[in-house]
Amino acid sequence: MIRLEQLQKSYGARPALEPITLAVAPGEVVALVGPNGAGKSTTLRSLAGIVRPSGGHAFIAGHDVVTDSVAARSRLGYLSQRLGVPASTVVRDLVRLVASVRGVAPAMAVQTLTTAGLGDRLRSTFGELSGGQRQRLMIALATLGPVTALLLDEPGISLDAEGSEEVRRAICEARDRGTAVLFASHQLHDVALLADRIVVMVQGRVVAQGSLAELAQAAGVACDGAPPEPPIERIYRILVSRGRDSAASHLTLVREDAA
Amino acid sequence: MSPTLSLCRFELEAALRGRTASFFAAGFGLASVAVALVGLSAGGVLAVQGFARTSVSLLELVVWAVPVLALITGAVAGADCHELEFTASLPVRRAHIVFSRWLASTLTLGAALLVGLGSAGVVIGLLAGTADGWRYLRLIGVALLILAATLALGLWIGVTARTRLKAVGVAVAVWFVLIIGVDLAAIGALAVLPPGNAGPWLSALLMASPIDSGRALGLSLFHADVVAGPTGAALRAVLGKAGAWALTAALIGWTVVPLTLAGRQFSRSDL
Repeated sequence: MIRLEQLQKSYGARPALEPITLAVAPGEVVALVGPNGAGKSTTLRSLAGIVRPSGGHAFIAGHDVVTDSVAARSRLGYLSQRLGVPASTVVRDLVRLVASVRGVAPAMAVQTLTTAGLGDRLRSTFGELSGGQRQRLMIALATLGPVTALLLDEPGISLDAEGSEEVRRAICEARDRGTAVLFASHQLHDVALLADRIVVMVQGRVVAQGSLAELAQAAGVACDGAPPEPPIERIYRILVSRGRDSAASHLTLVREDAA
Repeated sequence: MSPTLSLCRFELEAALRGRTASFFAAGFGLASVAVALVGLSAGGVLAVQGFARTSVSLLELVVWAVPVLALITGAVAGADCHELEFTASLPVRRAHIVFSRWLASTLTLGAALLVGLGSAGVVIGLLAGTADGWRYLRLIGVALLILAATLALGLWIGVTARTRLKAVGVAVAVWFVLIIGVDLAAIGALAVLPPGNAGPWLSALLMASPIDSGRALGLSLFHADVVAGPTGAALRAVLGKAGAWALTAALIGWTVVPLTLAGRQFSRSDL
């Protein structure tokens, strides 16, 4: 379970994230979408304890991410957009560290890597891996162990078609295990495929949220999937445009069961 | 294995794989042997009583070379903490990330220091005998204390500065202040304070720098306090034989306090 209550973040006088309230239930997949600078990564980084929220609260599996941060992170898998691993780090050492702090047997961790197609790269350094291999490694490590909340920041970036399919499979498997998944993505096709709920953010604010059908209705778009473009892209453009047009226009669709 | 121990092992493996310790061991080993040979030949090997005379020369090498290297290494390690987004998202305390980096650097550079001073010790032992050998071992202990303290200080600088370039710049400036500034402050204090009242101030001043603390402690091992300058003389006058313990405590303090501050600073930082 992931829960944000009026969570906000400012860098100096500049607000990066207006107060946001959101919940992701076990087994639910929620996507954050929006243009660059919308606050998607800041939301995920605040939840992962990478940046300190300026106000409000956030909880992972009931643990406050600020006051009970170690317990919160013990149930959390996080994929950073920047990955955040020195290039000289040996893959085997990284895997052993994650397995150890998450209480997973090293053999199981290695098996996870083998499944991700990286079984022969254990002796490589992180810098020696290709962009796609790095991404696959970090996703495999993020899902390792007793993780009940998964935060993924642009999980499909740098991946080829096969890698993107693996990411989708990893997200589906996590959902099937009852993990609450919150991910940020610019790949709207993946969002439409995976997300139970979509949160549209603009300039640090949530301007809309709901299922794809609910968002389509809010945007006045017929959800028929007809060419020349998938409806989600039109829906996205309309909602982001509205969000930009007026700071006061808080178009928000909140499903009652998700609030 | 606890998460903190796992983290320490991870950092230690990374530090052992780096080249800093190897270069330091080779460079410091060569310099130490050279200083030992020059010291022995200058005094005449036959006239030298074991380790005592050469050790004082080696101490000068330690107080000049070890702090600058440790401050820079610590500063880089501290600045790089801000790049460890993945490690910071694991269920470990941020302060433990800083501690594990300090421990890994202290162990690897400490081993390099042992190789360097050990090589010189073998040369001295072979050429001039083993008299005062146990004092030489204590000198190595002093060198390790200086290393631990200046690494901790460097880490604090790095964590605060956030970028490598800024951290290294500040570390070099701090080294310069610690190695020269305290002596200048002592000269100033002697000029300003009334005669007879300067002792406690000069003693405090000596402990205001881990480098001067280490130097005075090292000199006291070989009864060479006479070259410890006015601050060393003041320490002898004020604290007597307890001076060595006070200096040791100062060096431990110079390790614990910056390390704690670095841990707190990093815990509150956005990455």
